[in-house]
Amino acid sequence: MNNKYHVIIVGSGLAGLAAADILSRYGVHILVIDDNAHTGGQLLRKQPYAGRGSKRFEPDRLKRHGARLAARLQKDNVQILNGTQVLGIYPEHTLLIEDSRRNVSEYRADSLIIATGARERQLPFKGWTLPGVMSTGAAQILMKSSGILPGRKTLIGGCGPLLLALAAEILASRGHVLAVLDQGSTTMKLKAISAGPAIWPKLFEGATYLARLAAARVSVQQRVRIVEARGRQHLEEVIVADVDADGRIVRGTERSYPTDTLAVGYGFSPNIELPQQAGCAVKFSNAKGGWYVAVDDTMTSTVADIYAVGETTGIAGAGKSIVEGRIAAWTILNKQGAVDWPTYETKTRPLTRQRSRQVRYGRFLNQLCRPQPDCYADILDETMVCRCEEITIGEVRRQLNNGFTTMNAIKRATRCGMGHCQGRTCGPILFDIISTFTQRPPAAVGCASARAPVKTVSLGALAQMTVNSGDDHEGRSHG
Amino acid sequence: MSDLRISSVLRGAKIKIFVNGKGCTAYEGETVHAALLAAGYRLLRKTPKTDQPRGIFCGMGVCYDCLVAINGTPNQRACMARVEDRMEIEVDEQ
Repeated sequence: MNNKYHVIIVGSGLAGLAAADILSRYGVHILVIDDNAHTGGQLLRKQPYAGRGSKRFEPDRLKRHGARLAARLQKDNVQILNGTQVLGIYPEHTLLIEDSRRNVSEYRADSLIIATGARERQLPFKGWTLPGVMSTGAAQILMKSSGILPGRKTLIGGCGPLLLALAAEILASRGHVLAVLDQGSTTMKLKAISAGPAIWPKLFEGATYLARLAAARVSVQQRVRIVEARGRQHLEEVIVADVDADGRIVRGTERSYPTDTLAVGYGFSPNIELPQQAGCAVKFSNAKGGWYVAVDDTMTSTVADIYAVGETTGIAGAGKSIVEGRIAAWTILNKQGAVDWPTYETKTRPLTRQRSRQVRYGRFLNQLCRPQPDCYADILDETMVCRCEEITIGEVRRQLNNGFTTMNAIKRATRCGMGHCQGRTCGPILFDIISTFTQRPPAAVGCASARAPVKTVSLGALAQMTVNSGDDHEGRSHG
Repeated sequence: MSDLRISSVLRGAKIKIFVNGKGCTAYEGETVHAALLAAGYRLLRKTPKTDQPRGIFCGMGVCYDCLVAINGTPNQRACMARVEDRMEIEVDEQ
């Protein structure tokens, strides 16, 4: 068995691909691991048969770049493991992984690049667990990877620019959009414009979507929020209402939309569980989408030889991901002596400048997607917060009143975040609920601890694990 | 073809999957969760504690709401698996 590499990259989205592209050119022996069956992360999802025969031009510059990077990775010194999850990171950069055939084994590397991306944020409402209620990302993925519409009629709700993009995509696929309900206000958007020229192309994109929706007579409403989803075995009706500047429901404005599908989303949150389990320090910033992995200008985390790149260091989209992946690759090459200091300086100086521009753009994006803090007060007591363990916001409120006022305390008191998804869905929600309730700073509320296995694995797979004996490590060469 | 399949999309080979023993049409390249939705299965499982229905939620392997049994192996994320010809999928009672 030879499971030792120079560099292991976790995540094959644009950040991971950008790092792998540079490292592979210098003959570095790399392993790229991804949970998905495809390489390229969320941006490069496409129907496996859609491109065959007709080579359609891809209008998105970042997607074109990503596709080129993915194609260039087919090299002798690069190995890719798809459908593989990393369960934990142990001392000496040892990774415990479960591959696509459900075999658990250990892999080691001199350096690790963590590019685990992001997930969607949500704001719970009564009935949000009903089949037919899905994230905006889920609706997009159904169309992109399988060519299937999310529903016959789709109502879109939440906060931020992705709602418009999804509506335009459904229309382009000849689907039916009932309405787009944005909880944010025009004032919020105008404030965000002060972010500067970096966002002007995005404003143009937004205007294009609005024009398409107007042409299809789809109603786009602002300061409207989802109050309740109703149905017996699946979604049948959605109750919505107007909100004031603080996001509080204006009584008497409730109205109903009969529909089989509701797509909701409130921006994104960094996937920090794996680096957190590895011991990397995390920090909090609403401008970065919540808790994120702390890195310096070289993309080094607080753990030696573990680098974090892309959305996991703060939400800002694919542009920042590519730039950070490149910086991490040059840092590793410089440390290994493959490129000298002047070359490193020349390569990374423009990248560092681009990175600060991208971070500013991210601040704008995250601001647009963030629901008003006071809006949590209107969530009905019987609403689920933790979908896995089925813990309601009423139970969380009861334990807050009992004095459990940190993430870890609430987790222990209620089991919130202890289920299948390990708090990935309810974590950011719970953090906002506790913060609003206690009015204490992020560090006092804290971030729930992450322990291995960070992804669900069967006991059977663990029991049959391939264990490398200790002396086996000696004399093993790279490659 | 079900009305949720987008007509302009070029598809893989037509295959047959079995949902709770009942034969359904799917196309190579589709994910299991998408094929189930197109076949009319929105409810994928019921929760252990309160017996509540669940279906597709995050669609990207994060939330574990879409757990189904695939070829006899329970608790598989339907959104992370692709359909194969003669695949047997078990979902909870509708």
